[in-house]
Formats: sequence, structure tokens, C-alpha cells
Amino acid sequence: MAPPPIVQQKSSSPSQPSGKSEVSDLKLQLRQLAGSRAPGADDSKRDLFKRVISYMTVGIDVSAAFSEMVMCSATSDIVLKKMCYLYVGNYARCHPDLALLTINFLQKDCRDVDPMIRGLALRSLCSLRVPNLVEYLVSPLSSGLEDGSPYVRMVAVLGVLKLYHISATTCFDSDFPASLKNLMLTDSDAQVVANCLFVLQEIWNLEANKSEEANRERETLLSKQTIYYLLNRIKEFNEWAQCLILELISKYIPSDSNDIFDIMNLLEDRLQHANGAVVLATIKVFLHLTMSMTDVHQQVYERLKAPLLTLVGSGSSEQSYAVLSHLHLLVMRAPMLFSSDYKHFYCQFSDPSYIKKLKLEMLTAIANESNTYEIVTELCEYAGNVDVPIARESIRAVGKIALQQYDVNAIVDRLLQFLEMEKDYVTAETLVLVKDLLRKYPQWSHDCIAVVGNISSKNVQEPKAKAALIWMLGEYSKDMPDAPYILENLIENWDDENAAEVRLHLLTAAMKCFLKRPPETQKALGAALAAGVADSHQDVHDRALLYYRLLQYDVSVAERVVNPPKQAVSVFADLQSSEVKDRIFDEFNTLSVVYQKPSYMFTDKEHRGPFEFSEEIGNLSLDQESMDNAPRFDESDKDLLLGTSEREENGGTSINGAATPGYSAPHDYNSSLVPLSSQTQSEPAVTSQTSFAIDDLLGLSMLAAPEPPSLKLNSKAALDPGTFQRKWGQLGVSISQEIPISPQGVGSLTTPQALIRHMQANSIHCIASGGQSPNFKFFLFAQKDDGSASFFLVECIVNTSSAKAQVKVKADDASASEAFFALFQSALSKFGM
Amino acid sequence: MLQCIFFLSDAGEVMLEKQMTGHHVDRSICSWFWDYVLSQGGDPSMILPVIASPTHYLFQVFRDGIVFLACTQVEMPPLMGIEFLCRVADVLTDYLGGLNEDVIKDNFVIVYELLDEMMDNGVPLTTEPNILREMLAPPNIVSKMLSVVTGKNSNVSTKLPDATASSIPWRKINTKHSSNEVYVNLVEEMDAIFNRDGILVKCEIYGEVQVNSHLPGLPDLTLSFSNPSILNDVRFHPCVRFRPWEADQILSFVPPDGEFRLMSYRVKKLKSTPIYVKPQLTSNAGHSRISVLVGIHNDPGKTIDSITVQFQLPLCVSSANFTPNHGTVNILADKTCRWSIGQVPKGKSPCLSGNLVLEADLEKLHVFPVFRVGFRIMGVASSGLQIHRLDVKNTPSEPYKGFRALTQSGEYEVRS
Repeated sequence: MAPPPIVQQKSSSPSQPSGKSEVSDLKLQLRQLAGSRAPGADDSKRDLFKRVISYMTVGIDVSAAFSEMVMCSATSDIVLKKMCYLYVGNYARCHPDLALLTINFLQKDCRDVDPMIRGLALRSLCSLRVPNLVEYLVSPLSSGLEDGSPYVRMVAVLGVLKLYHISATTCFDSDFPASLKNLMLTDSDAQVVANCLFVLQEIWNLEANKSEEANRERETLLSKQTIYYLLNRIKEFNEWAQCLILELISKYIPSDSNDIFDIMNLLEDRLQHANGAVVLATIKVFLHLTMSMTDVHQQVYERLKAPLLTLVGSGSSEQSYAVLSHLHLLVMRAPMLFSSDYKHFYCQFSDPSYIKKLKLEMLTAIANESNTYEIVTELCEYAGNVDVPIARESIRAVGKIALQQYDVNAIVDRLLQFLEMEKDYVTAETLVLVKDLLRKYPQWSHDCIAVVGNISSKNVQEPKAKAALIWMLGEYSKDMPDAPYILENLIENWDDENAAEVRLHLLTAAMKCFLKRPPETQKALGAALAAGVADSHQDVHDRALLYYRLLQYDVSVAERVVNPPKQAVSVFADLQSSEVKDRIFDEFNTLSVVYQKPSYMFTDKEHRGPFEFSEEIGNLSLDQESMDNAPRFDESDKDLLLGTSEREENGGTSINGAATPGYSAPHDYNSSLVPLSSQTQSEPAVTSQTSFAIDDLLGLSMLAAPEPPSLKLNSKAALDPGTFQRKWGQLGVSISQEIPISPQGVGSLTTPQALIRHMQANSIHCIASGGQSPNFKFFLFAQKDDGSASFFLVECIVNTSSAKAQVKVKADDASASEAFFALFQSALSKFGM
Repeated sequence: MLQCIFFLSDAGEVMLEKQMTGHHVDRSICSWFWDYVLSQGGDPSMILPVIASPTHYLFQVFRDGIVFLACTQVEMPPLMGIEFLCRVADVLTDYLGGLNEDVIKDNFVIVYELLDEMMDNGVPLTTEPNILREMLAPPNIVSKMLSVVTGKNSNVSTKLPDATASSIPWRKINTKHSSNEVYVNLVEEMDAIFNRDGILVKCEIYGEVQVNSHLPGLPDLTLSFSNPSILNDVRFHPCVRFRPWEADQILSFVPPDGEFRLMSYRVKKLKSTPIYVKPQLTSNAGHSRISVLVGIHNDPGKTIDSITVQFQLPLCVSSANFTPNHGTVNILADKTCRWSIGQVPKGKSPCLSGNLVLEADLEKLHVFPVFRVGFRIMGVASSGLQIHRLDVKNTPSEPYKGFRALTQSGEYEVRS
């Protein structure tokens, strides 16, 4: 890790020490005061301590004064004590030998008459975090857990967790978890109970992988008895503890519908809590409980709407953002429910743009027959907004609503009005939209073309907009008298055109125009092809050459390739699959919602930012889905071949996961209309078999791999999660089937790890797993052991209560998936034997 | 759970660092964060509240020039992180009598002490100001004076609050007061949007019932409204009992001591607003004329004061001059114009007219400002909510009860 950069200091600050002399000066003064019992000594000590702490606060290393600070710590003044605790806590880690000096006075303070001092001392003692001092922690902790003051007990409970993180064995040897469990069920103070719950959850979650017993203990936290005990006391807890308990309840699996309604009745008033975190946690419980009851689930939505909308309106913009992200999720799942509340999503002038963006997306989603007019009117007002990105976003939103087919008539008029605003970015966005609209509603071409024809191409500078304009010029050159001449003009300025995207479109448009109005365009097309062939950009060069040869070969073939009859696009592809949305929904009230990505997409290193600090993440992950279980061998060369270039793309899409559908690159719409590059309409087979094409690139002939009688799997196969993810998205499901699991298998499947180890022995590796009894989910993969890079990807959902596994197989080489499935099935059937 | 909290100044300087768990978070995360802020335009108030850095997830809240930054490496409810930071900011504002860099730097010891009590090992403990105040006395002038006079200088109360042990966590058991009084305050904020055609598209009230209670012992209060049915959605302080509200829409509660927000509510779909603002913009050959008319719409019966109209001139306006027939106009550096009217004078309606000179190559205006209106009406709750009665039980003598109401503008905007 790079050395921490020096924090920039304001040079004018007089209290900054110039160097070491200040620290040694402090040391000297502290030493003089250490033994002093003079009347003013405490005050001078306090001033000195304050200076030391202030140096520490601005990031200056004052650890040199450690022993002097400890010498001065013998005091009855509580403020001095607190400052001393703070100092010691900060530097004990880097001075374990000196930390021993503090033990004595901290232990003494742990026996003080004042509970506050006892508590503070115990907290500091546990926060030293020096491994070789663990032995000194045990006895103060055990007496702390039995202290008469709830304050001390509360501190002691968290102390146990700190001890666990330093030395788990000491913690278990002293039997602290058992005392905590007892305390949790009996203590009169709610905060002590809540802390016990927190500590036990964390300990058992971390231990669950290691021992069966811990796993059982974790289950008992979720038992009906514990849950109801906490539920009945819920009003005693403070707001934060309530969040913790609600989180636990959301994992509880109710036994029957009475159970569900009991819990919901007990929790209903939590929806009116002043703390937004409590409200959201309650909402999560409600949604999870009713997941399987469709009709109640709908009612729950209705019930949740009002509290959520109020939360959005009150509180700071940061709070409303977090709430809006969750609301966004609900809106996307059930837009109909919110269609009458659209006014809540109107943007206020003072909203930060991240909030406006979310609101715009929601307005787009909830538009339907009844409210489209109002929403579009509102959105159009934003087009004149001072905030340019929002103005753009709102124009796009209008376009998206138009593509949803409500009241298109009025919207097209509005869009055309935008073009008359003569504001460059408004024009640019609108052009792109008009193009998309025309692809979906060709019947509007007449009205649009009349307006588009009046736009001077000089006013359009953005590549996307320019490309859209050129596309329309080519496509509708018949209806636009000026089209060939505008194109000719653009081609003359070929060299000034920086964007390859625009040049590509220019070529295609010139072709289209030529095929419709040959005499007028011939010269321009010639110029375009000449410039294109000479172009330095590979794609432009290739396309120009392709057109040239096509024309040389046969003009009618060229016509069929470039200008085939088109069908209106009915639905534009949505970038975020419904599967991903479901995953996010399962993780309601987590960070996933804010990022609009399920957690496996960002907790996994592959999806993180471009650089990493080399700091270890540590083992404090609360999340079951840690990637530690995934085998990480060195990637084979072949895998790299496949991976590198595409991984970038993958990163790109996952970052703007919520980007506008059908609006990414103009390549998309070209390829969806006409297979542009080397594929002609007469060879549709090639497009649908991209997976084979990849194999072919690697020199693997399709015929050479007929169903192999016995499939061998590479026992050291490696696949990084990013590639897995990409492949999973690309490949179609080749087999989806339900397999029964033997009772022995069910018995052994108490944690996901058991199955993972078993499958790994059969050369099937796990990349991600999660869930709790009775539902476990695994993502597995295997690789063919014949030198090819052909992978099999498996999603396996195991339900132990029904003893069934739902298996989906996707394969690079679909022909071998039957054989693999047989192998997988036999491996699974041996589990637990 | 949160691993570390940093306070940053609006120049990106680390003012304070508080490690919460054994997983030490290096300060370099702050420079990463600040680089991110700079890459996003440099305004911390416009930064997403939740950011994924390469090593940590960051929560940030920006208040009064201070960035409250919290780091975590594990999944947690996002609102919990954000709410907690907001509470930290609230509590500090309350304790230090305002927030700014200097106040934090002068009082870092008490800030550390507060953070210590509010969170341990990443678990939020208590953020209830009443309880915190019992553990740590706020540094006010009186205590400073006392410390000078008596030579004792401790802001730590020697006794732990009983409340941590009581079943009413928001109140200590034996509150003693020389005064015996309770005030109920209805504070409403009106949000409204008028669209370009001057039509009211949205009008809502967000209201709060604020209570200031100085009652001895364990008083039991009930508050009822004459017209609770107008309330659309309500949220309560933890002290409010749920059943009486469900059954009869009565607020029954044991109040915390001092000031607190008893309830907040929303009243939707209001049809009328007390004030109208009519902006008009015309453009002609590089010049624009602007005129804004303000007047009282539906007389609320009390004086409307502190009327202001604020708008931002579009960037393409190169110069502007305004002449109001009432009040004063200030143009700030970022082209924000603020017209302070105060009260509407009798027999005259305030009007602002002005000329805008556009940038050289522009014919007419394409971007239109939003006019934000501010006002205040004392003595009126514009939603029409009325308090029916307040009963106090369990006090030795009948306390003094006071009621007030106030309406002010929230997000009240008129588009042009």
C-alpha cells in the first residue's frame, strides 16, 4: 500500500508543531507533572493532554510520549481519564510492549465505585487489541458481565466481541458465548440484550463455517422462541437496536400464516417510527414475510407506500436518497401501484441531481394511460432546466415514455417542439430519441422528417446526435429532397469528423441514399468510399471496403444487405435483467439497493474499481456469500485469451447498469435491424450461434466434438467471477431440471460448504453460494478436460425441506451439456453417502 | 457496521478521526474521497451519499461545511449509516450551538466523548439528546463561568443516567423542575409547484408537532385534534402509544424532558396557497424583459411576513438590472437574485421589473429560471389542523399549557 499521503494542513494554523522538538517538549512537561500533587497540577495536565490529543487528531504521531502519558494517568479527574483512554486506545496497537504499562491502571479503574469509570475503563481495556495481553481481559470481562450497572454490562458484552476478534479461543475457553446467550434472554436492560444479540450474531456467523455447533447456535437465534421474545420487548429497545432485531426477524422463516400475521400486527406501528432506518427495516420484514402470499404481498405494498413517500419528503437529501433508492426498486416492480402518486416524484429545484435522476426514472416507470399527459408536461418543463444533465435526462425520459406506447401522438409533438428550442444539447438529445421513435413507429416518419429536415447539420455537434441525424438522412432520403446534398456536404468534411461512429453512419447513409436516388448521390458515395477505404480507423476502412466490393459484385445484393425491408422494433432490450432485479429485491435494505446491483456484483473484487489498496479485507464479513470458497488457481492462458478484451466490456456495462435501454451505442440498433458487418440476411444462422463462433475462433471444430461418450472434467479448472457473470449472461439455458436429493444428502447439507467440498471432489467448482436452511443457492462451474476452454455453468437451488434441487445448466458447448448433466446428477446423488 | 468516522472540512482537510473497530481504517481513504469529490465538481453537497471506494463503502453527509464520512467493509442497511451520521450532526449542533470547523476544533474532546457514547465497536448505542446530555453536560457559557469561578472543570456528570435502565428510555425517572409548563407548537412547511402556465400542480404541507415540556415526575399527556382525518401520514416519536392513535386518533404519551418532535405528518392535495407570484419573461433581439408580480391570494387572516423571491439568472444572461416598487433586490456572485419584500404593503402589490442583456450571439432566452418563494405566517397552521385539547395527568399541580402555530414556505417554487 502506498504510504498514506500527508494530510494537507492549513499553513496558517499556529498550533502545528514544526517538528520533533514539540513532542519532546511535551514529553518533558508531562514528566515533570507526573508525580506532582500540587493544587493546579490537574489543570496543567489537562492542557497538556489536550495538546497531545489535538496533535493526534490532526494526524501527527505523538506515540513517543506514551510512557509519560501513562505515568500521568493516575488521576481521579474523569476528563483526564477519558483523554488518556483515547490516547492509549489509539497507540497501543503500535506499542504492544508499552501497552502493558496501561493494564495496571485500567484494571484498577475497572473496579472503581463509579459505574461510568468502570464502563469506560473496560471499554478501553478491550480496545487495546494487543494479542499478548488477552489474559488480562478475561477476569474484568467476566465481572463486567455480572456488574450491577447496565452501562458496564453493555460495555462488557461488546468487549466479548472485541476479545473474540483478538483471540477466538480465549473467548470460547472462558465460555463467554454461553453467558451472553443467558444474558440476552434474561437481562432487564434492553441495550444489553441488543448488544448480546449483535455479538452472538457476529460470532456465530463467523464460526458457522468452522463448526456444526456454531451453526446450530446460529439457528437458535432464529428460533420462534427467541424471535417472539425479542418481538414482545421491541418497544423497549432504542431505534438502532430495533433495526438490528428487525434485520434478524427478516431472516426468520414463519411456520404458518398465523405466524406471519402475528408478526406483522406486532410490528405495524414501527412503520410510523420517526427513524427512517427503523421504517425501512420493518418494510423489509413485511416484504419478506409475505413473499409467498401474492394477494397479501400486494396489500403490503399499498400499506408501505405512505410511510415511504413521507420518508422521502422529510429529512435531509442524503436520507431521501437512500429511501428513494428503495422506493425506486418497489416502483420498478409494481409501477401500477404508484401511478396515482406521480406528483411525489416531481423534481424540486433544490434537489441534488442524484435525487432528480432517480425521480426521473420513477416518473418514466409509472407513466400509464391515466397520467402520461401530466408527467410529460412536467418533464418538458425540465428541458429548460438550468441543470443541463437533468435537462438531457428529462428529454430522454420523455422519449422512453413515448416508446412505452402511451399517447404517442402528443409526445411526438412535444419532441418536435424541443427541436424548435434551438438549444444544442436539447436538439442533440431529441434527435437521438426521434431516431428511436421512428424505428418503433415508422408511421410517424412523415411528421418527423419535415422537422428534422430543417435542422442544419452544423448545429449538431455531438457524435451520437450527428449519427442519428445521418441515419435518418439515409433511411428517409426518399422523403427529404435535400438528403443527398446534405450528405455530400458532410462527406466533403470527412477529415474534420473525429468520431468513427459518425463516419461509419455516413458510409451507410451514403449507401442507402445511393440505392434510392442513384444519380444524385453517385458522386458523394464515391467520395465517401474513397475516404472510407483510406480511413485510419479499422472498422471504417472495413465497412467501406465491404460496400465497395458488394457494389462491385452485384448492386441488387448490396441493396438486399444495406436496405432490406425493416420491421418496427417492438421492444428495446432492457439492460438490467429481471434476474438481477430479483436478486436486488432479496437484498432489500442493503447497500445493493443503492447501487442497483446485487451484492455479488460489488462485494466481489472483480467488480471493484480499477485500482486496489493492498489492504486485507479481514475476516469480518457478515455476509455468507464470501468469495473465499471459490477456487482461485492461476488462470490458464486460454482463459485469458477469452477473458481480457471482454472483461472491459463487462466492467463497462455493470457500471452503468441502469443506463437507458436501446440508447447505448448506435451499433446496437444497426445490428438489430440489419446485420451490418459480415453477416447478411441469407446467413442468419451465424448470428444465433455466437457461442460456436467463439469455439471456432479458438480452432475447435464443431464436428470434432460430437457427444463424447464419457466426459472428463478438468479438476483444476479456474474461472474468475467476472467471466462467470458475463458467460452466465451470454449463454442460454441448455438444461433446466429438478433432481431429487437423497435423505443422507439433505442431512449433510447444513451449510453450503459441505456441498461445495463434495462437488469440488468431482471437479465441479463453486463460484458463489449463499442461503440458509432450507434454501441454498449455488453457482458452480466445470471445465472440459480436453484442452478446450469450454465451460459448464450451473445454477443449483437446493431446497432441503422438499429434498429437491433445481438445476440450470448453461454451456459454452451446448452439445456436451447432456453428458455433463448426467455427470452432475451422479455427483449430486453421491452427496452425503 | 461502521468501522470509522472522519470529519472533513470543506477543503478536504481531516479534522477528526474516530476508529470504531479493530480494523484500522487508514486516513488515505479521505484523500481518495476528496479526489472523488474534486472529480465530481468539488461540491460535497452534490456527491452521492453512498459511494463504493476500492476498499470501503463510504457514507457521507454534508452539513454546514463539514463532511461526515463513515467507512464500512460489510453489508449494512444504508439508511442506518446515513441516519446515524445525520444524528451525529444533529447532536453536535445541539451541543456546540452550531457547526463549523472552528467549533469542532475547539471542542474536539467533547466530540470524542460524544462519539464514544453514541457508538461502540460500530454499534450505534444512544443518540437521544436528552440522555446524552445527562452523561455529558454541553459546554455552555454557564458551565464555563462555573469552572472559572470554582476551579472545577468537568463537563462529565458524575452520575449515570437512570434512563438507560428504565423502560422509558427517553426520560429519566426523577425529573425535578421549578417550572411546570408545556408548550405545543404546530410548525408547518408548505411545498408547492406552479408550472409554466401558472397552474398549481402540487401543494402539500409537511407539518410537525413540536413539544417543549418542563414537567416534573412522570407526567402522562393526551393530545387530541379537532380534525385528525386530514392527516395523510404520520410518524411518531417513540414515546407515543400506538393503540390510542389507532383507535381514536389521540396522542397519548409520556414526554421526554425538554424540546422534541412529537409527531410529523403530511397533508396532501391542498387546493389553495396564501400567496401568488406571477413571473413574465419576454425576449426580443438579444434583450429580455422580466416582470414579477407578488400578491396575497387567499388571506390567511394573519400577516404574511418575511416574503422573499429568489431566482437564478440563466448563465447566458450577461447583465441585468432590476427595479422593485417595494423591497430590495440583491444579485449575488452566482447570479442568484434575491428580492426581499417583507410584508405586502396596503393598497399596492409588489412588482419587480427588469432588463436582461443576453450574451452576444443569442436571440432569445431558452433557459428559464425557477422562482423560489419564501414566507412566514405566524399563528396559522395552513393545513387547517386544530388542536382540540391537551390533558396532563400525573403532575402535582395543573401545569401551564401554551399553544402556537406557524406556517412557513418549504419548497415553494414557481416556474417560468
